Amino acid sequence: MKEVKPPSWAERFLGWYCDPYFLEEIEGDIYELFDRRVATQGQQRARLLFIWDVIRFLRWSNIKKSNSKFKYMNNTVLFANYLKLGIRNIRRNLPSATINILGLAMAISFAITVFIFVDAQYSVDKHHANGDRIYQLTNYVEQEGEENLWGYSPFLLGPAIAEEHPAVEYFTRMKYVSASIRHGDHVFDETVKFVDPDFMRMMDFEVSSGNRFALNQTDQIVISQAIVTKYFEYEEPVGKDLSFKFLDGEIRRFTVGAVLEEYPYNAGVRGNFFVPISNYFSMNADTHIDWSDMTTATFIMMREGQPVTSIESSYDRYIQQQHGSNPDWKIQSILPISLWDLSTQSYLITGGVSGGGHPAGRLALMILAGFLLGIACFNFMNISVAASTKRLKEIALRKVMGSVKAQIINQFLTENVLQCFFALIAGIVMAYFLFIPGFDQLIPQMDLQFRAHDPMKLALFLVVLLLVVGLISGAYPAFYISRFDAISIFKGSQKFGSGNLFSKVLLGFQLFLASFIIVGCFVMVDQSIYLSYKDWGYTPEGTFSVFVNNQEQYDLLKNELIKHPDIQSTTASTHLIGRGLPLKSIEYNDRQIALRTYGVSQDYMETMQLRMEDGRELTDRSSDQEQHVIVNETFVQQIGWQNSPVNKTFKMDSVRYTVVGVVKDFHYYSFFSGIEPLVIKGLGEAAPRYISVKASPDKLIAVHDFAREKWQEVAPNDPFDAVFQEDSFNDFYQENDTNIKITLWISAMAIILASLGLYGLLAFNIQKKLKEFSIRKVLGASPKTIIRLAGRQYSWILLIAFVLGAPLGFLGMSALIQSVFPDPKAISVLPFIVAISIIVITLVVTVSGQVIRAIRVNPADVLRNE
Amino acid sequence: MKGNHLGELEELVLLTVGSLFDKAYGVAVMDELRTSANRDMNISAIHAVLRRLEEKGLLNSRMGGSTNERGGRRKRLFTLTKSGKQAIDETIAVRNALYNKIPDMSFNFSI
Repeated sequence: MKEVKPPSWAERFLGWYCDPYFLEEIEGDIYELFDRRVATQGQQRARLLFIWDVIRFLRWSNIKKSNSKFKYMNNTVLFANYLKLGIRNIRRNLPSATINILGLAMAISFAITVFIFVDAQYSVDKHHANGDRIYQLTNYVEQEGEENLWGYSPFLLGPAIAEEHPAVEYFTRMKYVSASIRHGDHVFDETVKFVDPDFMRMMDFEVSSGNRFALNQTDQIVISQAIVTKYFEYEEPVGKDLSFKFLDGEIRRFTVGAVLEEYPYNAGVRGNFFVPISNYFSMNADTHIDWSDMTTATFIMMREGQPVTSIESSYDRYIQQQHGSNPDWKIQSILPISLWDLSTQSYLITGGVSGGGHPAGRLALMILAGFLLGIACFNFMNISVAASTKRLKEIALRKVMGSVKAQIINQFLTENVLQCFFALIAGIVMAYFLFIPGFDQLIPQMDLQFRAHDPMKLALFLVVLLLVVGLISGAYPAFYISRFDAISIFKGSQKFGSGNLFSKVLLGFQLFLASFIIVGCFVMVDQSIYLSYKDWGYTPEGTFSVFVNNQEQYDLLKNELIKHPDIQSTTASTHLIGRGLPLKSIEYNDRQIALRTYGVSQDYMETMQLRMEDGRELTDRSSDQEQHVIVNETFVQQIGWQNSPVNKTFKMDSVRYTVVGVVKDFHYYSFFSGIEPLVIKGLGEAAPRYISVKASPDKLIAVHDFAREKWQEVAPNDPFDAVFQEDSFNDFYQENDTNIKITLWISAMAIILASLGLYGLLAFNIQKKLKEFSIRKVLGASPKTIIRLAGRQYSWILLIAFVLGAPLGFLGMSALIQSVFPDPKAISVLPFIVAISIIVITLVVTVSGQVIRAIRVNPADVLRNE
Repeated sequence: MKGNHLGELEELVLLTVGSLFDKAYGVAVMDELRTSANRDMNISAIHAVLRRLEEKGLLNSRMGGSTNERGGRRKRLFTLTKSGKQAIDETIAVRNALYNKIPDMSFNFSI
């Protein structure tokens, strides 16, 4: 009978799960029961019941929760010790700790900057407390087979909805109109925004002086703070008059009823002049407003608790009415967008009123920030692991003194989070003094400062950043180190660090990311540099244009200008290259061709310095002005004329035009958009809007000043609006420049982080191997051997990272450029080579310092210790 | 927690431990419950109750000496603490008090 044993797997299972504190009594009791049952119930049944007992003992309270044999430990007191040791360790390993902390700080401050940048964009218009109840009624319109989302909506839509649905508390329309506004000697061109009086009830704009509801009086307007300084200098503006001259020549006077406070930085919907919309209707009294007339935007505000979906049902009826009065512009559906979301959605809306760019930029920045943080975390992990080689004995001793694994883990996590904390502080300082002001300068359209719409969110972000970065980068070293066996450390048989596959993978991945980013950035920079030197297709130097309001002004100004000896030629046009050309569509051989067209007078080609490809220029002869046109190469290509296009004809707006010349393709918008078919026709009946003047470039400023003088005689009531052709793409150059700077900055950070990582790891490993090198030197090793030994473990990683990362970055960025730019530079390997050489040179410089240290080591110094 | 209130099983186990005096360990308690209270229970349930009572401070425990039985494993022997004894006294007192309040006539139904 004594031979009978319970099933051994069940015994082992019990031993595996059971808390050792209870194991003995439990085993004792079930053995006793087992023995008794063998005697009374037979072997088979006893074994079964034994298994049953083991399973029944599998309770939460019996399960082993840690490997420790000690249940209660005073960890809190130890934290003080961990912190003290952490600070001592930072002090002792100051160089490596500084590298670690600064690298992380750099990535953190970039992440903070990106957070603030993105927050600034997401918080636009969030200061309107009712913003979630205010909706802009945008709508889809089908155009050339595509559905486009428009902000423009019928004038009658807002009133119709408000009348029909009591759930709508207020509505307002916004209609943008240009006007020249005068007060005393101050005359400027401005955008006037006609709004319904309820506008000031819906939006939470602070009023600094005057009556908030001034718009209820037809002749009162609300102006912004910026206007006060522009027009009134130090006068009190409320009660003063402004005279508005609209494009049709009508002049109206309005009294300033209220002045708004300075707009908060995240105000998306803003304006300088808000005028009661009744004035717009009375000015256009001769035209009957129906459903085909469009306002720039319509906003409604729902009553509290009323969902916007409750008015959905009547959209169809409005759409029907709109179709009835304007069959050429058919609204397909109405989409209400909440004011709080308007800015982030506005890249979808044509003619939006809240600003806000395409999300691709902020997305790219967020991804890059993540990448850089990743590189920095990997650095941190690798250097922490390497740094702890010096502390093996400490770990072993702690274990001997009774530390358990969990405590060692705690200790290292605490130390790492402490270092991360310093990094966070340094990161905040860097972000505050360096990154955010830098970004602010790079992006002049945005006012970036160290702030967030919701400061709690920023604080939360910082705390989460600290914990995530601290735990991620601290966890691996802590777990790795705490695993070591005290005995093997003391014996010296613990193999450590160098052969560690994981740290190699980390280093490799980090170098991979770095070369990916750097090569990609350089391809981007190459493209941007190419764009900044790219030929516009014409010569912009030496020309400027002045906006004129009518034929009379044109004639007067021209008569004055041609008297100036330095002016080589003048011309007139309805539109200006760089300020937008109107879109038209023609039908040719049953094909729709979308094109841009505008009217010019004699000498246009010569004055604007466009290049003729074929044929002749337009003159002021009536045949040229009425029936002849010049087209660009893209037009010829799209229409499909094989041999010389001169004398070919086509119909546009039911007039048959004959081509007399072909102009070389030139860019009339920035390089971000492509070249479309272009038709340059005569002025015909149209009034000239621009007078353009050509002079030799060095005389141009003088000519410009002369023109301004004459303008004051010709049209004292209108602002002098002159553009140097060279300046007309300033925005483009600025944006391009910003792109170059940001990309270079990011690649600089990537390469600094990567070299910091490599430097830190190498420094430790060479330090560790100094003895080996010394002995080898004593035995006659040449410097070459030492270099090979020192670099051996890293050269492969570097190579693999390059071979994978560089081509991927190159291909990825090339594909992106191909898809974003309509007319990209032919891909060249130059940026690839430049990027690779920069990476290689930086890394070689980083490595060589350490390697030289290994070569120069004096064996006597190192070996003397033992 | 419901204060010092004892569950029915807890009360039984507590009484059993008291009655087994110094020989109370898992299997012994289980056997005693089966014979005197006619309760058939799994040993793991007994362990759970004993541990709970010890946490409540009603029982004390110590490890016994090792013998050749039980695969050489020691027993955990439980004894009543002072508050354990008090708890039993209180419950018994409560029961008796209530019992004594039952009018005699309610027993007269057999007549």
